[in-house]
Amino acid sequence: MAAANPDEHGDVNSEASPHALLTFLQSQSQNTLSRLYQKPSSCLSIFRLLGPLDRQLVMNLLWLDSAIPASTMNAWVTREGRKPYEASLGILSRLHILPSSPVKLALNPTFKTSLRQAITGGGTSGSFGVPAGNDDKHTTPSVEKLDAYALERWETILHYMVSSGSGRYPAKPSQGVLLLLQRSGLMTSPHGAALQITSSGFQFLLYSPHTQLWELLLQYLHMAEERQMDLVEVLSFLFMLSTMELGREYSTEHLSGTQTAMLEDLRDYGIIWQRKASSRRFNPTRLATTLTSSAPPLPTTSGSGGTTQSQGFIVLETNYRIYAYTDNPLQIAILNLFITLKSRFPNLVVGAITRESVKKALANGITADQIISYLTTHAHPQMRRNKPLLPVTVQDQIRLWELEKNRVKSQEGYLYTAFASQADYEYVLDYAKKLDVVLWESAARRCFFGSLEGHANIRGFIERRTAGNV
Amino acid sequence: MDKPSHLSVVVDLSPSQWHLCGQSSNSHPLPLSAFLSQLLAFLNAHIACNDENTLSVYGALPGKSILLYSSATAVPEEFTGPADPNTYRPFEVLDSTMMNSISDRVEALTDLEQEPPIGLVGALTKSLCYINRMSNASSTSTAAGGVQGPVVLPDPRILVVSVSPDESSSYIPIMNSIFSAQKLKVTIDVCKLYGPESVFLQQAAHLTGGSYIYLERPDALLQYLTMAFLPPPAVRQLLSVPTQDKVDFRAACFCHKNIVDIGFVCSVCLSIFCQPVPVCSTCRTKFPIKTLQRLNASKPAAPAPRTPAPTPPATSLPRSQSIGTPRSSMGNGLVAPSPSRNGTSLPPR
Amino acid sequence: MKAIRGILLTCDSAVKQILLTMNEKSSFIIEDLDDYHVVIKADEEWRVRQELDAELEKNTYSLE
Repeated sequence: MAAANPDEHGDVNSEASPHALLTFLQSQSQNTLSRLYQKPSSCLSIFRLLGPLDRQLVMNLLWLDSAIPASTMNAWVTREGRKPYEASLGILSRLHILPSSPVKLALNPTFKTSLRQAITGGGTSGSFGVPAGNDDKHTTPSVEKLDAYALERWETILHYMVSSGSGRYPAKPSQGVLLLLQRSGLMTSPHGAALQITSSGFQFLLYSPHTQLWELLLQYLHMAEERQMDLVEVLSFLFMLSTMELGREYSTEHLSGTQTAMLEDLRDYGIIWQRKASSRRFNPTRLATTLTSSAPPLPTTSGSGGTTQSQGFIVLETNYRIYAYTDNPLQIAILNLFITLKSRFPNLVVGAITRESVKKALANGITADQIISYLTTHAHPQMRRNKPLLPVTVQDQIRLWELEKNRVKSQEGYLYTAFASQADYEYVLDYAKKLDVVLWESAARRCFFGSLEGHANIRGFIERRTAGNV
Repeated sequence: MDKPSHLSVVVDLSPSQWHLCGQSSNSHPLPLSAFLSQLLAFLNAHIACNDENTLSVYGALPGKSILLYSSATAVPEEFTGPADPNTYRPFEVLDSTMMNSISDRVEALTDLEQEPPIGLVGALTKSLCYINRMSNASSTSTAAGGVQGPVVLPDPRILVVSVSPDESSSYIPIMNSIFSAQKLKVTIDVCKLYGPESVFLQQAAHLTGGSYIYLERPDALLQYLTMAFLPPPAVRQLLSVPTQDKVDFRAACFCHKNIVDIGFVCSVCLSIFCQPVPVCSTCRTKFPIKTLQRLNASKPAAPAPRTPAPTPPATSLPRSQSIGTPRSSMGNGLVAPSPSRNGTSLPPR
Repeated sequence: MKAIRGILLTCDSAVKQILLTMNEKSSFIIEDLDDYHVVIKADEEWRVRQELDAELEKNTYSLE
């Protein structure tokens, strides 16, 4: 899952990979999905995560009472739309939204009823969250306060990750978050020592906040399964949060046991805000309400001064120098992953992309594309006038440095040589090829190189053969 | 995730036409209330597609046009009360704002004998202004560093839902709107629910790459709206959307605002007249007497002045023209007119 | 026939030449396959990579 490159056009023709959550949902049983589809808010959120063509197909069928022949729908598809259309049908059928049938097309009745209800309103499901009544004692927290809270929580997690290797430990996130980070493989504790960031953790830091959030939530879902939590309850709650209104208080009274238990975890991630743990009301933060949107989930990256500043803060010059207008310790720490910092001012950090700094990043498992996409996403508005956005020389050089690292590729295995006859050689080679373990071969020298995994099989094969010959 | 898109809807709310449209004597009557509930479902569906989709709705009323709903304005005070747990909040706000503003306006309408012409042009122009302001706002604020991430101009579209016949006096403003729309790269879709085919709106859809659909079954409105007008332009490349195969390219003359089959075009400024004139009213070019006499002699039967002719009998001169067949020179030495306009040219004196 | 355990290195021909030179000092190559492939002793890989990196580093110049 690569961070989206904003320079690419949002072209529906391009085979964009489906949202990470959809992949997860596709692996669920039909029964789970059917229960999930009973909630209008879940249907609406899933609908939003679908691709543009998938959504249109669902909409075309939504208001029909009976199934339509597949050929009728087919007639609407243009020639260039063939392949995307087939792909869409595949996704929708794996999600059990549109059961695959060569003859008739009709939406899953549960999904259809719920999505209709979501769009027209009404019903008694209460799936969009029950607002809390007026509270005389406390005033509702302002949107700014919620934003600040979400940001503080989220940055604590990221900052903890980024500084884990440096020996400096800033504020520690809660135990639940640490466990999640460890389970997701973003951090690891070698031999029970303090947590260390892993290579996938470094990559994670460069993702967009939206991708990061879903990555953690997916991991949460996997853990929920192991903790015997009801997945449908967990998912419906997340979807309910995503359709809630920012700045409104909701009541916890109508939540199920599982969902009440989730409140604590979600509070730790900064997805919801509660006055205190025992409070009977909660507020979704922007992290929650933008779960199914492409809007930036974190409003502004506030520095110590609390000044609002846009996400774009990096100026990159053709001489590899970087000027980052930020005083945010997290952003500086992330930049430090792949640039050499030179000097620091109250609102500005100056550094340069050097071979050493990029090599260090590459050694941490960060790819050249991730660096480039991070720089693109966070480019200063001044840079947006340039076409292309980043200087080509710098982009190319970062890619070249990556190639340089990969000049030698090594694969462990066995060299099979000194065959008695050409026929013997071909016979064994044929068998190895069937196993798909041949890495290199030369008929002239009558030898080949097979991977380590294939060795046991090949040895067995040769032994059986020699035994048979005797 | 994909790009958000913007939709502006222009709703024709002519009371007399809606009265006619809802009459049970029609084969498929569609009363205003049923229309509004289907329209709201469509608008909700647009918002449902993407959290960042934007929407504005303008109503065309007799003699005026008003903004019914805009997703850019803040939620009004009266909605800060407890929300309905069964409805997605933005839908709730959209639906009640729309219904409130429509009922306010309709009640305020005075019961006149003669209904003033429908403010369709006003609504269309305001929609274009709205889109223009939105596109400019996003580009200027970027320069100031206010926008997060790259500038994404939402794919703007305008959907005109029309029930009234063409107002021939609005030919020039509609043509001007079309040109502005082309410049802004706005697609204009037209959904004609009732009344005669609209010549001007057909041209609007054709020239901006939108689609014009005359509903055979107005009671199935929602299905039409969803299939033809919900997909943003990018999806329309994959799932085709019906477009008209015949476009009526006739124009209205500048002198009496009549829709003409054959007109007389000033060879200097391309103004259109329903009869030969000695001096062009637009550019003051004088035409030679001899040409005038010759043209007068060859002129078809004079059109009745000041009577709009929305549906000329099918037996009259070429009513519809296939796209891309400019009419070549009409004999007797007249200049060939520009392809999009019918008629003959007057050589300057 | 026989099977020899080792590591297959896939590289460009320039790196291959450096490897051959290094091999003259202390032998680690089991089999020289072709211009782009060599098989080396499995336990020598780390040392070979270190030396190769050091050798390649001599050919890079930085601003500082």
